[in-house]
Amino acid sequence: MSEWLSTFRRGLSVDNPLTVLMIGLCATLAVSTKFEGAFFMGAAVVFVITSSTALISAIRSLVPQQVRIPIFIVVIASFVTVVDLGLHAFFPAVYTFLGVWIPLIVVNCAILGRAEAFAYNNPVRLAIADGLGMGFGFGGVIILLAAIREFVGTGRLEFMGQMLVALPSWYRGPGIVLLFPGAFIIFGFMVAGAGVINRRIHGRVVETSLHCTIEEGGRK
Amino acid sequence: MSSRAASTPVNMLLSVLVTCVASASALAFTYGATYERILAQEKAAEERALLAALPGASSFEALEEDLVERADAAAGDTPVSGVWVASTESGEIGWTIRCGPRGYGGPIQLVVGLDRNGKVTGVSIVTHSETPGLGSSVLEDAEFMDQFDEWDGADIDRSAKAFDAISGATKSSVGVRAGVLAAGYVYRDVLSEQNGGGERE
Repeated sequence: MSEWLSTFRRGLSVDNPLTVLMIGLCATLAVSTKFEGAFFMGAAVVFVITSSTALISAIRSLVPQQVRIPIFIVVIASFVTVVDLGLHAFFPAVYTFLGVWIPLIVVNCAILGRAEAFAYNNPVRLAIADGLGMGFGFGGVIILLAAIREFVGTGRLEFMGQMLVALPSWYRGPGIVLLFPGAFIIFGFMVAGAGVINRRIHGRVVETSLHCTIEEGGRK
Repeated sequence: MSSRAASTPVNMLLSVLVTCVASASALAFTYGATYERILAQEKAAEERALLAALPGASSFEALEEDLVERADAAAGDTPVSGVWVASTESGEIGWTIRCGPRGYGGPIQLVVGLDRNGKVTGVSIVTHSETPGLGSSVLEDAEFMDQFDEWDGADIDRSAKAFDAISGATKSSVGVRAGVLAAGYVYRDVLSEQNGGGERE
């Protein structure tokens, strides 16, 4: 069980897909303009990454090495399409906001990356831990980034039509925060912050992310 | 560790085939389960937009395909995807025109309502992909959106001179204006001649 927990925790901290591995950044920078949208994006990614890594890990002994990538993509794309249809049917407002970024979860390299680097070589139990950890790691960072951008850029923070925080109406946020340059700048500070925290707590920043747990031909 | 299936041609073909068939059937099932809800959502969203553009109407009837095509041609660069006749129990009260002028982040799908004299009654947004907080706040700005009311469709170019864009979101502002202009052209070139006859059912 401790192995499960440590795998799960790695996704949140020292192997965080966004601040450490830096995969799946394009969707992150584009969607993180609104707290609400980022929340559902994070939720969608948690669902897709956990279910795809679980399924891929379950069928891994049946997947020949040379066609593994097409099979991973089909599995991931199927889960993404399920999310796409589900959001369209039940959360039309969120669907409108996320727009093209839902189908593009397919090419979120965080998901394919984890399928390839972890789920293909590890049992289902650990693959789920990794998927959840990576998903929540991704979701947490994108939500935080979106909250900062929405709050600084517009002076307000809304969720499902509810106003969470609002500055007085004379506040005019710097528009750049809502555009891509602002996303890069704030994200840069977040990477730096995550580096400091990881170094303090774990005494390392990127060591573990540099060697993926790859097992060749059944050898551990 | 369990041993892995060898990459023989048969294995590769079979595994990809099985994955695709399984995924296709799972998706067909999901699609079937959500299809009607999605259709209803889209219809409801469109009806809300039509009603917001022309308040007071009780029913909307889509115009024939060839008239919509003529409207699209009359609107120039702005694509027009639908024109509806709006009526109450006492008769027709105007039209709603759906078009997709270009904004900053892509087309802004909006509906412009016109009364029988071609005066703009309202503009409502269906979907857009403007920058949240910048361009999108333009579309939520009541003062900005209300400035189009009473623009004269018969002489839309003159009305459009009084236009006030919002600084910092010029492209989004001008996009909405292009939509209203397009609706004006549609009225001037296509709908105004529909007014006289009155023999449509």
